[in-house]
Amino acid sequence: MTYLSNVWESISTLLIGMRITIGHMFKIRRGNVTLQYPVERWPRPERAIGFSSDSYNVIRSRLTVDMDDCIGCLKCERACPVDCIKIETHKVEKGEDIPEANHRGVTSHGTQKRLLVTRFDIDMTECCYCNLCTYPCPEECIFMVGGPNSSRQEIDYEFSEYDRNDMVYRFSQVPQDVLQEYAMAENVEAEKAKEAGEVAE
Amino acid sequence: MVDFFLDTFSGIGWLSSSPNLSFFLAVTLAGLPIFLFMALNALVAVYAERKVSAFMQDRLGPMGQGVGLHAGKWGMLQTAADAVKLLTKEDIIPASADRKLFVLAPFILFVGSFVAFAGLPFNEYVVAADFNLGIYYILAMGSVGVIGVILAGYSSNNKWSLYGAMRSAAQIVSYEIPAGLSLLAVIMLTGSLAFRDIVAAQTGTTLAVLPNWFIFDNPFTFFAFWLFFIAGIAEVNRTPFDLPEAESELVAGFHTEYSGMRWSFFFLTEYANMFIVAGVAALAFLGGWLSPIPGYFEGGLWGIFWFMSKAMFLIFVMMWFRWTFPRLRTDQLMRMCWKFFMPASFLTIVGVGIWDLFIR
Repeated sequence: MTYLSNVWESISTLLIGMRITIGHMFKIRRGNVTLQYPVERWPRPERAIGFSSDSYNVIRSRLTVDMDDCIGCLKCERACPVDCIKIETHKVEKGEDIPEANHRGVTSHGTQKRLLVTRFDIDMTECCYCNLCTYPCPEECIFMVGGPNSSRQEIDYEFSEYDRNDMVYRFSQVPQDVLQEYAMAENVEAEKAKEAGEVAE
Repeated sequence: MVDFFLDTFSGIGWLSSSPNLSFFLAVTLAGLPIFLFMALNALVAVYAERKVSAFMQDRLGPMGQGVGLHAGKWGMLQTAADAVKLLTKEDIIPASADRKLFVLAPFILFVGSFVAFAGLPFNEYVVAADFNLGIYYILAMGSVGVIGVILAGYSSNNKWSLYGAMRSAAQIVSYEIPAGLSLLAVIMLTGSLAFRDIVAAQTGTTLAVLPNWFIFDNPFTFFAFWLFFIAGIAEVNRTPFDLPEAESELVAGFHTEYSGMRWSFFFLTEYANMFIVAGVAALAFLGGWLSPIPGYFEGGLWGIFWFMSKAMFLIFVMMWFRWTFPRLRTDQLMRMCWKFFMPASFLTIVGVGIWDLFIR
């Protein structure tokens, strides 16, 4: 009789297993399956650091520069411990708009700009998210997105790119042809100075 | 369909003068839909398998995310993308492999299931070659594939592959017997090996409401159906009887060394064999192309519809088995076959005989 009872036991237990799997098959809910990541995301958890995150940027995320306010003072470049910020400037008339270079003469703080920022690159592959560049900025134009800055830009903690070169953020709004004009003008000036020097000799 | 084409061609003047050419054309025209059906079946069944397995494991399976992203809505293009990937992959033949046999093996396996398809009727008329011993032919051709499996395992020159091939040989030789014997119960009741007669014997109703399918005919045929179905699963190497593949033990068993298009032939054959087993079970026990409500929705395209739905349901049950049961050990597999399935299949034959002679 153990033979038949073995057969019966195996059949009945197999049926129990099949009932469980079919039950799972028809009980698919949004809650018990994997999140469809790029379309659905978990809500960003709040970080508790003992005081309000509204007054202090606790979120170490993507760096952004508000180029309308940047005066090209290079303080952030100097503050950066990994030298991932590269800034180049060009001397222009103080406080004057240059529309073809997308340059505004006066910042939102009322400061009159003396320099046109022709290059403002941040290499986010090198950035160590120390936030040290944001403190010295006199115009508060370089900031990490989110936190108290979330009114200016929504948090973005998923900024992966297909191409590594796309991780270098180029903030300068000066168009390429305008840049070339400035470069040529600089060359002409340098040649003139050279000639003047030669003449003086 | 071959006979139909031959009749048609004999009416055409220039074709009827060359019987060889017309026979070749007729066979090709009848075989092409089979090949297309096999490819389509694999395409649909792989998608269904992925989805069924995913749902049973509380996953979503292949999912498209947005328009034009990933694999379309609900991942429906997943298998198409897979097929393109497999066909464009590099064709790797291991340096130490037996080159000729390695190349040949997947095609022998494929041909085994392809020729078996020729005898499988979809309704009264749609069958590539209408035999009067269809069930015997399909059983015979179903075991041709094992040569391909053994050749694949042997020619790969790989221990895992050889183990897989040997297990496959042992398994198929064992499970052919209960599968054949349980079909014998049906053949005893009908007295014919032709699917046409077997299905014709299942018309009408039994017990007033149930259709007169052999699965409902008597308790012994009910058992015979499950014996045949499970032995069939073992024959097509599906989990829980996938010892020849056994990915957790033998990497991928007999097709470890295969990749790209040759591997896709193994896959195509697996799903085609599943359909053959499901189709034979549906024809022999579930009334084939007969409607589940006797007298309604019968004939013509309804026949194909009912046959396909029965076969697809059985394929779903195979997937259900696969994602529920763990794989058997080799000794458990042999024990199950020789100690349980063999006596049970003999019992069904005796039981059906007694039932048909005395009780009915």
